[in-house]
Amino acid sequence: MKDWLHSVRTLVWKDLLQEWRSKDMLTAMFAFAILTLFIFNYAMELSPINRAEIAAGIIWVVVVFAGTLGLNRSFTAEQDQGCFDALVMAVPDVSAIYFGKMLTNWLVMLFVSVLIVPIYSLLYNQSLFNAGFLLVLVLGAWCYSAAGTLIAGMTVQTRMRDLLLPILLFPILMPVNMAVVKSASGILTAAPFEDVQAWLVLLAAYGIIVTTVSIMVFEYVIRE
Amino acid sequence: MSSENKKLKILSYVVFFMVLGAFAMVLFYAPIEQNMGIVQKVFFFHVSAAWIGMLAFLVAAVCGILYLTKKRMIFDPIAFSAVEIGLLFTAIANFSGMIWAKPIWNTWWTWDPRLTTMTIMAFTYIGYLLLRRGVDNPEKRARFGAVYAIIGFASVPLTFFSSRLLRTIHPTIFGGDTGDMAMTSAMYQTMAAGIVAFTVLFAALLWHRSILAAREMEIDALRAQTETLEFGEVQDD
Repeated sequence: MKDWLHSVRTLVWKDLLQEWRSKDMLTAMFAFAILTLFIFNYAMELSPINRAEIAAGIIWVVVVFAGTLGLNRSFTAEQDQGCFDALVMAVPDVSAIYFGKMLTNWLVMLFVSVLIVPIYSLLYNQSLFNAGFLLVLVLGAWCYSAAGTLIAGMTVQTRMRDLLLPILLFPILMPVNMAVVKSASGILTAAPFEDVQAWLVLLAAYGIIVTTVSIMVFEYVIRE
Repeated sequence: MSSENKKLKILSYVVFFMVLGAFAMVLFYAPIEQNMGIVQKVFFFHVSAAWIGMLAFLVAAVCGILYLTKKRMIFDPIAFSAVEIGLLFTAIANFSGMIWAKPIWNTWWTWDPRLTTMTIMAFTYIGYLLLRRGVDNPEKRARFGAVYAIIGFASVPLTFFSSRLLRTIHPTIFGGDTGDMAMTSAMYQTMAAGIVAFTVLFAALLWHRSILAAREMEIDALRAQTETLEFGEVQDD
């Protein structure tokens, strides 16, 4: 267990350091997120009246789209350099690779959210700094990277690669999208907690189920 | 092999008459529904097709688990065939539902849990077919297919619950608390006949398609072999 934790930590550190040195992906994700936000602004005519209800949906879509860019890259280094085998040999159990990659993807998504939430608040003069809302984002990003890491591990080894990831991932993520948007907009519009509770339970259940299934099947994804 | 072929042939004939019988029951035995009229008859095959759509995807997920644990290649063509057939029946369920919904709900489509879930499920399995097309190595293709079938099937009930948390207007026949569609016993019998006929039809189709898929895979393997034989030498020059 100690070895396992150590491997996960090393793997996350390696990926984050690699990303931090180039900042390619973070820059691209951030720029993409801002651009998506601008597209929404003109596509949806965000008037002050409807803004409170749809803010959650917009933030989530922006984070998800940017997150897909990140997921697409999460295994490319190993795949292109052919070090999958070395990675498998270096860890006590392949589930450590899944956990490491999932944590990295989760952290990267949270990093994008940390940038995009204040920018949204600034642009639309609507404070999103609400503990409940941020909790939903954290939970949603977990569910997203739990499913996304597994799928990205497969798509990176296929011919169509980045084309295939959203096609495979979005149908599976449909419950997460619904739960995040409904619970987050419920929280932002100060709906009673009973209305939000079921969605939060659903999010947690999804995260637990998908993470468990992924741990069980991940070895079949990267084994050669 | 030949006795297997014979069994399959017999099954195919049995299925033909079963489906014909179920169809006759829908047309002549089931009474015309009081409020909805003749269009309600779509319901019998709609329910059967939706059931096969679900069953097919369960079969694919079970075959995926069996493939990963038992490592027997035979489960792969079965899973693939189940997804393909399931997709067809899901489409039948969706389109027959639309034919019914237009006069009854006055709209082709509504964001109801059952409609949404079936459609999302169909997209999950379109993804399954695309994923398989992107992988050339048959062993890897089988592995990825199995993994995706399992995770895809695990997400289906969650999609259903999440869309059910929103409201529904779809008539509930089983396990619902609202009795918006009361059925006579003749209707129940017709529905049961339809479901049984379609289930046997599914088994027959799955059998046919699995044999075909297994042969396709064999041909691909042979072709890959001859190609390496032919081109392997050319590249050495």
